[in-house]
Amino acid sequence: MSNILEVDSIHTFIGQFHILEGVSLSVPEGSITALLGRNGAGKTTTLKSIIGLRPPREGHVRFEGAEIRGRRPYDIAALGIGYVPENRAIFRALTVEENLKIAERKKNDLAQRGEMIFGLFPDLKRFIKLPAGQLSGGQQQMLAIARALVPENRLLLIDEPSEGLAPILIEQLMESIRTLSAHTTILLVEQNFRMASQLAAYYYLLDDGKSIQHGAMKELVNDRATIQRYLGAA
Amino acid sequence: MNIVNRYRNPIFTLLLLLIVAALMFNGMSASTATSIVLSGVTLAALYFLVASGVSLIFGLMDVLNFAHGSLFMFGAYAGWTFYTNPRLIFNSAPLLLLFAAGLLLNPLTARFVALPRWMRWLAGLAALALALVAARGFPIDRLVAMGMTMTGKVIPTELAQEPIETMLLRCGWALLAGIVLSAAVAARSVEHIQESARRTLGMVIGLTILGLAILLARNVAEQFILQTENNWRFLMAIAVGAGTGGILGALMEWSLIRPLYSRPIYQILLTLGLTFVFDQVVRFIWGPAGAFMEIPSWFSTQGKECPSPDLFAWFSQHCDSIAFFGRPFPSYRLFIILAGVVMLVGIGLLLQRTRLGMIIRAGVQDSEMVEALGINVRRIFTLVFAIGAGLAGLGGVVAAPFLGVYPGMAPEFLLQAFIVIVIGGLGSIPGAAVGALLVGLARAYGDHIVLAGIQLPGMSEAISGSPAIARASTVLIMAIVLFIKPTGIFGKKE
Repeated sequence: MSNILEVDSIHTFIGQFHILEGVSLSVPEGSITALLGRNGAGKTTTLKSIIGLRPPREGHVRFEGAEIRGRRPYDIAALGIGYVPENRAIFRALTVEENLKIAERKKNDLAQRGEMIFGLFPDLKRFIKLPAGQLSGGQQQMLAIARALVPENRLLLIDEPSEGLAPILIEQLMESIRTLSAHTTILLVEQNFRMASQLAAYYYLLDDGKSIQHGAMKELVNDRATIQRYLGAA
Repeated sequence: MNIVNRYRNPIFTLLLLLIVAALMFNGMSASTATSIVLSGVTLAALYFLVASGVSLIFGLMDVLNFAHGSLFMFGAYAGWTFYTNPRLIFNSAPLLLLFAAGLLLNPLTARFVALPRWMRWLAGLAALALALVAARGFPIDRLVAMGMTMTGKVIPTELAQEPIETMLLRCGWALLAGIVLSAAVAARSVEHIQESARRTLGMVIGLTILGLAILLARNVAEQFILQTENNWRFLMAIAVGAGTGGILGALMEWSLIRPLYSRPIYQILLTLGLTFVFDQVVRFIWGPAGAFMEIPSWFSTQGKECPSPDLFAWFSQHCDSIAFFGRPFPSYRLFIILAGVVMLVGIGLLLQRTRLGMIIRAGVQDSEMVEALGINVRRIFTLVFAIGAGLAGLGGVVAAPFLGVYPGMAPEFLLQAFIVIVIGGLGSIPGAAVGALLVGLARAYGDHIVLAGIQLPGMSEAISGSPAIARASTVLIMAIVLFIKPTGIFGKKE
């Protein structure tokens, strides 16, 4: 199986702070890979480094074999990477439809994939003309993911989708993400270990800005000691 | 009850305004009141054209552009020059275009030349020296001197303009200066390097050809423009003013403001500094005195039937004024109002109905996320800056026949525009429109009481005001609005 994304010992700074001190990871095509670690381990910064919002100062980021480090975020995204940030960052003043339309890279993107998107998230179709700011938290999360599905993306970077959602919504969301993974590769950052462990096939563990361990999720689930030590959860 | 509660603030504001208006217009004839209102709306249209750009730019980029009044002024001068004596434009545009062509080589020079820091400074100085060589002895005063339109005296073309060979030489120096400068700023353009060489070369060659074409066609083009019927020439002048403002705005954003997006204080110092530069440039080129601009004949015909009895009669008569309740009102001011309304509707359509507008509205909230969707936000920033600056330039030309052109128009309109957007709410276009109306009406009313005084109920004699009060009234409105709602009428909570 080939890797769609390869991150090779990147170093990222925010101001004077050395946030990522050598993160490496590979995302195999057609699967879900989870990025795990404590708060402040550098998971969000890793995603931002990949998409170019926090460009790494050293190291390599390769998407489908081509170096993308140092390119501008719009340029990276246009290669086929969708980004769903942790705060969702939907455009509150725009309608649901406009939130989807704005993500189009070709004129008929939404028309082409609309059926698939609304099949996954029927609520969005009901509220299509509503300002996105009036949606509930769960619906906003779905809109943020749906927005990343509008153009033809071969890799999705999803940051903390379960944050602040009620358990019942998390179940729904997991179902949606699982369905999605049939179409596209996903790199998932998730604090909720139970959710991550049920979705992902592979994991990478970050601590203090370094990737320290990786492998198949099946193995990690039984490794109580590691979970306890680096994730602080049972 | 629910509805009353929801709209409590607007209803309260409206009632307050009605009471104030009733007091203001107490004892006034319908014709006087109408003329005050129309004068106020005229001013409001001009304030809106400046304020809307400031607001648009602030909304998307958080840049408070102090140079906006200067763009308004520069647009006015450019339009006026084009209308009366376009010679200066045809002789200076080629030089600027070739300089720009050289500078745009940047992505290519950056690929081949990587100068150390001290060499970059040296190259910058060299570029300055080359630019000075290109401009040395350039006969600005002769080019600006009035040609045939104002005094009827024609300055022979050979005398005012330099021969083609001299101009070509100047163009060469300007191109060289641009290229050297492009090497000096090469380090800034790392991100551009990936842009294709073909596109860069295409742009550079295009600009060069455009510059040379303008130079070679300068006499023909000048004759063509001066022989164009004055109304159409005026409409062309408006386009020239808007274009000048837009190009200046885009250049400003690209070269000076872009490096400072993370430093708001520097932006303020920079744009404030630019106002002084623009002021001196205008004084240097056109002199400190200012000038009048004739009103195009659609709005200045005088005759026996004038003033036109109503708007419909005016369409066939083109009178300089139209009667409202028996009092003539200058028809050109109605054109200013029309321009303001058209631009308000235009901005509204742009924001609500186009993809660019959608991107702008999204970018106001979170420009990083817009970029992460695959949209080149920097290009959008430059474009929006150009649109805002273009609106100011357009406003300048529209204002010129009404107010004339003079260096003081920059600070005057900048101040009013800032008052307008503070009243209306920073970043809000409806706010800019409402703010402009309030300020415009206050100014017009203030001007009226300076002349005629004010009659309050229960008083036998009118109280007269001083010009200072008329000017202070707008600041007073601002103070009241800030006191009640610190974010402005349409402002959102921080």
